[in-house]
Amino acid sequence: MDSLGPELATYLSIAWLLPLVGFVIEVMNGFGQWNRLSRKAALLAIACIGTGFLFSSYAFCRWGTETNWAVFAEHESHDGHASVLDNPKEVGHDHHAENKSAVPLAYSGKFYTLAKFGNLELSLDYYIDSLTLLMFCMVTFIATCIHVFAVGYMSDELTIEYVDHHAHDSHGHHVHRLGRFYRFFSFLSLFCFAMLGLVIAGNIFQVFVFWELVGICSFLLIGFYTERKSANVAANKAFIVNRVGDFGFIIGLMILWTYCGTFNFTEYKSGETMKPGLFEMVRTAEGELTYTDDTHETVALHTSNEHGHWVAPQGESTKRRTIPYMLLVVAGLGVFGGCIGKSAQFPLQTWLPDAMEGPTPVSALVHSATMVAAGVYLAARFFPVFTSEVLLAIAYTGCITLFVAATIAVVATDIKKVLAYSTISQLGYMMLAIGLGGWAAGLFHLITHAFFKSLMFLASGAVIYGCHHEQEMPKMGGLFKKMPITALTMLVGVIAIAGLAIPGTPIAFSGYHSKDAIVATALAYTQHNPVHFLLFMTPLVTAGITAFYMFRLWFYTFTGTPRDEHVYEHAHEVPKVMFVPLLVLSVLAAGCAIGGEHGQLFKMISLSEPVGLAEGVPASGVAQVTLPSHDDIHAVHSTAGVVALLAASLGTLTAFLLYCKPVVKPENIKNQFPGLHNFLVEKWYFDDLYEALFIRPSHAVARWATGFDRLILDGILHGAAKSTVIVSAIDRKFDEGFVDGIVNLVGNTTRRFGYSLRVFQTGQIRQYVMFIAVSVVALFAVLFALLPKA
Amino acid sequence: MEAVSLNSLLWVGAVLFVCGVICMTTKRNAIGVLIGVELVLNGANLNFVAFSRYSPLALDGQVAAIFVIVLAAAEAAVALAIAMNFYNCHLSIDVDRGDELHG
Amino acid sequence: MDPLCFLSALIFLPALGALILVAFPSKAVDAMRMFTVAITVLVFAMTLNLWLGAGSFDSSIATIQPVAEGVSKPWIPDWNIHYRLGYDGISLPLVVLTGFVCVLAALASWSINKLHKGYFMLFLLLETGMLGTFLALDFFLFYVFWEVMLLPMYFLIGIWGGPRREYAAIKFFLYTLAGSVLMLIAMLMFYFGSGREFSLIKLAELAQDGHTFDYTTQVIAFVLLFIGFAIKVPSFPFHTWLPDAHVEAPTPISMILAGVLLKMGGYGILRIAFPLCPLGAQAAAYTLVGIGVFSIIYGAFAALAQTDFKRLVAYSSVSHMGYVVLGMAVWKINEHNGTDFWLQGMSGAMFQMIAHGVSSAGMFFMVGVIYDRVHHRNLNEFGGLANRMPLYSGLAAGIFFAGLGLPGLCGFIGEVAVVISTWNFSPLLAIIAASGVILTAAYILWTLQRVYLGAEYKGPHSEEIDHMPFNAREAFVAFTLLITAIVLGVYPAIVFDAMNPTLQGLVDSLQKAAPADAATAVTQALQ
Repeated sequence: MDSLGPELATYLSIAWLLPLVGFVIEVMNGFGQWNRLSRKAALLAIACIGTGFLFSSYAFCRWGTETNWAVFAEHESHDGHASVLDNPKEVGHDHHAENKSAVPLAYSGKFYTLAKFGNLELSLDYYIDSLTLLMFCMVTFIATCIHVFAVGYMSDELTIEYVDHHAHDSHGHHVHRLGRFYRFFSFLSLFCFAMLGLVIAGNIFQVFVFWELVGICSFLLIGFYTERKSANVAANKAFIVNRVGDFGFIIGLMILWTYCGTFNFTEYKSGETMKPGLFEMVRTAEGELTYTDDTHETVALHTSNEHGHWVAPQGESTKRRTIPYMLLVVAGLGVFGGCIGKSAQFPLQTWLPDAMEGPTPVSALVHSATMVAAGVYLAARFFPVFTSEVLLAIAYTGCITLFVAATIAVVATDIKKVLAYSTISQLGYMMLAIGLGGWAAGLFHLITHAFFKSLMFLASGAVIYGCHHEQEMPKMGGLFKKMPITALTMLVGVIAIAGLAIPGTPIAFSGYHSKDAIVATALAYTQHNPVHFLLFMTPLVTAGITAFYMFRLWFYTFTGTPRDEHVYEHAHEVPKVMFVPLLVLSVLAAGCAIGGEHGQLFKMISLSEPVGLAEGVPASGVAQVTLPSHDDIHAVHSTAGVVALLAASLGTLTAFLLYCKPVVKPENIKNQFPGLHNFLVEKWYFDDLYEALFIRPSHAVARWATGFDRLILDGILHGAAKSTVIVSAIDRKFDEGFVDGIVNLVGNTTRRFGYSLRVFQTGQIRQYVMFIAVSVVALFAVLFALLPKA
Repeated sequence: MEAVSLNSLLWVGAVLFVCGVICMTTKRNAIGVLIGVELVLNGANLNFVAFSRYSPLALDGQVAAIFVIVLAAAEAAVALAIAMNFYNCHLSIDVDRGDELHG
Repeated sequence: MDPLCFLSALIFLPALGALILVAFPSKAVDAMRMFTVAITVLVFAMTLNLWLGAGSFDSSIATIQPVAEGVSKPWIPDWNIHYRLGYDGISLPLVVLTGFVCVLAALASWSINKLHKGYFMLFLLLETGMLGTFLALDFFLFYVFWEVMLLPMYFLIGIWGGPRREYAAIKFFLYTLAGSVLMLIAMLMFYFGSGREFSLIKLAELAQDGHTFDYTTQVIAFVLLFIGFAIKVPSFPFHTWLPDAHVEAPTPISMILAGVLLKMGGYGILRIAFPLCPLGAQAAAYTLVGIGVFSIIYGAFAALAQTDFKRLVAYSSVSHMGYVVLGMAVWKINEHNGTDFWLQGMSGAMFQMIAHGVSSAGMFFMVGVIYDRVHHRNLNEFGGLANRMPLYSGLAAGIFFAGLGLPGLCGFIGEVAVVISTWNFSPLLAIIAASGVILTAAYILWTLQRVYLGAEYKGPHSEEIDHMPFNAREAFVAFTLLITAIVLGVYPAIVFDAMNPTLQGLVDSLQKAAPADAATAVTQALQ
């Protein structure tokens, strides 16, 4: 249906823009009419995002009806997406019809143009496929739950005098301030707008735009408690570290823009002609690169449309757009750099744990379920542009991240920090999956993770709320009796993330299926590329660690004896407005992935899978890695499932023995390895390393720059000024000394001569007479002596 | 009576003149100085008269001498007036006391 | 109205206002304020009419409007000097910006506390100078207006400025005068080289025909002109007057200085240096890009180390204006997109000028608001303002985000358009330029943290913050700036559409006048 694209775009746009409207109203009224005790902001925010969810769902249903739900009707597992496309009705553009098996179903179009430079055009577009729809539903749904939860969690902000126990003024008193209930919800709304904009984006530039906007929302929300220095520092760190990733992102953008001349994902209409987007330019309809020669150094870009296929023009080299292979790699790495920053991957993972300074609902929404997953989402979205080298880099980045983060999580004692590190680790899993070619597996994990991690964060928020803002697990313990609902819902999340299941039965929580898919992909990958065996071993080991630290958290918090009587005494179950979202989410966390790789969710995702992945990708480029086909993965699925489950069970058992029924005291182990423990507690010393490597040198350079201005440039200027003054001083000396000197000399001489004559002027009349007489005599004498004698 | 020679007359005139000059330079009394002036004038007069013998009319010298005498009289009057004033200012007529024109 | 009369009225209306101000009794401060605001509003309305009014500006025409030669009257016929005015897609946005910033600066002038009459007269005179510079099409007239602008500025800084105002004023004056002298030399070179011609349009035609001015002349002239304009931009290493001038100038004058005066440099390069010496410009392109990139990084680093709030914003101007120089000079033909990337760079540079005019004026205003209360600018002695003055802090955060280059606000579009056009010119410089985003984020966020966030206000005069609440006039100025920043950031096409045909024309004519050898081959092959 040609009209389906714009129709879907309309629904999704409404869902996307409603939170923005909400934000504007909330902010405006927050400063004005609404008083600090009003819940209106929350109601409006929930209304906006809830309506957004309804519109997203409706769009989803419309899309389903138009496709006759073919995706679910088809039971032929991994070939699902091809068969859907047999139905000519769901074809977005004409040429798709002639190339059914190759191009995934997607609708794209333009909202409006930002700027046009000759043939270059920056615009806001939309790109809608099954992944977009899924993400929309997921984001709006989780956001709605979290909004509702936050009404309870943030209720202590409904006051005109909020006492912040974590912030002190210079006299050591707690800071008193107005409650900021409305502000919290306005920021949340703004975040939802930005996040949805990122998902609907139809070009990489637009992704970047919203990428930055979610970044700033994250900044605002992390720094929500502006009085706390730690919160401000964490907010700055989050944004600046993200900007480091964005630096790479921009480099990627520049390369693509320069060589491809467009940012659009897929073909778009420019004037009257259709032009290819990045995906069509880089990949053939079969998902392969086209080289101009045998050396594989230059990739030809497809710009000419022949019979519905985009191909590279033959003949004259001037008409043929090409991009050096290396630059395509750099572009991919650059864009992936952005993903590293946003998804807190190694080596930019350090900001996410600090980001837990924000209120817990924020951690649940922004820093686990949605924004940080945006990096994974982009990596998946941009998959066709990534070459095999980039994919390998992605895989290793994910692999390192998931291990590093998991090890730190083992020793963390702050309940939110454990979850933060587990988020990083799980994001590593997703990245790994995408890098291994397990595109659908990675996104599968993204969706399931969003549910169970937001669930766990909310549950931890409930614990924190119930314990009056105590976050340290060593002060908890035995809370099960006090807050059973929270404990149980949390347990659902823990089981889900640990990937536990009962073998041989379909009883398994969502995390089992998705992690299983990833491990299976890794195993198949390692079979094809034995060199990269670490890419299988690490996630497998980490699966065990994951189970360990998650159960450690649960046992530590909810079982055993209370370790801090004061906290325990005052702990209480949370109100309804908070535990209802927990229950809803726990249902989804448990069940959203029912059926595993034969389930609806996985099929939905697979529908958007890039072309050519299903058959596997043979080795190419420098990396020389082979991506496994779906059949390969399927073949090792049961093996992978068993080993993953084994690892998870081992981890669970260890946690049980250490923290629930202590056979060995954890402290003893800690004392056994003080070096290792310290190393992990200090987060592998990344923060210190960056402080020494980047932050301090930056400040040094900054000081140099100012010093250069002050000393050298201003020095030159002042030197010039001073030398001018000196020259004029010399000039003055010359004038006063030499020119005036001559004049004065004449005068002085005359005067001195006059003075010398003074002695004769005695005033003595007799002397005068004497002079006259003597002179006359002398005159005569002279006359007589000189005159000739007659 | 034997005519007195010109030389003798000139000698007398010269002696008078020199005496006058010496009187002017040595006398500190204003009156003495005035007397010296008179002596100088009379020495000059004597020369006029002595030389007048050689003029065609033989009277020029006498005329000049009479002029000088008249002038001397006037001068004496002025000089005495000055002396009086000088005395008023300095309570003495010692010319050395009047050195206001000292440079 | 006859276009010449209309443009003259536009230019000289403020000067007329200054004359009328003489008649005001010097005690009638409020009347003078209102009168000045009224005049600036009227001028702004006229500039808007010029842009949007029926039949006055056609954005699809590349040449000078209302007629291609510019409307003119002989002024000093013996020397072939004409009073020649006109506007196109390059100057018009800047004219409108001038009108806009002047209104807001006039509204921000309430904080002036002595010699009001003189201040407002000079203020209006300054506006005349600025409008005249943007609208003049005769080199001599341009030069005259350029100097007319200089003198009021000198007094405005030197009389109403801070403690070191004399130093700052004279530094500003001498720097700019040095630039003017270089421009004067270049002007005379063209005058006598062309057979006594001052018309910028004619001179551009002559320069682009390729044989009136030879390569050497063009290079020398370009260097002279560029240094003259680079002082105004200001580019490294001619920028050190800016921090001092800004720190000492009163708030509204800082707004004008950053918002409009700096744009004279960029405008001069586009209007005079490039069209009059295409060969020189082409020869210097790499240097220009290098200077632009270096200014971006250098300014950002220097900003990071400042402890004076205004000085920090001043250095951020150095950094942001680096994008302008960078964008203009990315002169390289792309195999497939021809001059499109260069056009993009130029458009980005122009947009950046407008955007910076809005965001930096806003930043200086925001600094001024807090300075009026606590009378210091030491970044380490602020903090906690978000709780003390929430509305002010919210608006300030928005405006500072615009400076940071946050998408959805004006700063982003210009910067990103310039930066992504740079790879085509030089990948290395493009990468360095892109690294500026990290530093910019660092210094802006660090500033926000030190000033607005934190537990409490740490500096002196804390009680003044409560005594002088953020008033409606200040809120209006800040809101206007923020909303403009948002509009430009969300729908930049309104500005791009107005200037693109002109810039396209400029790019094409320059390309024709100075085709690179390799590029020629490609262009011919494409045709």
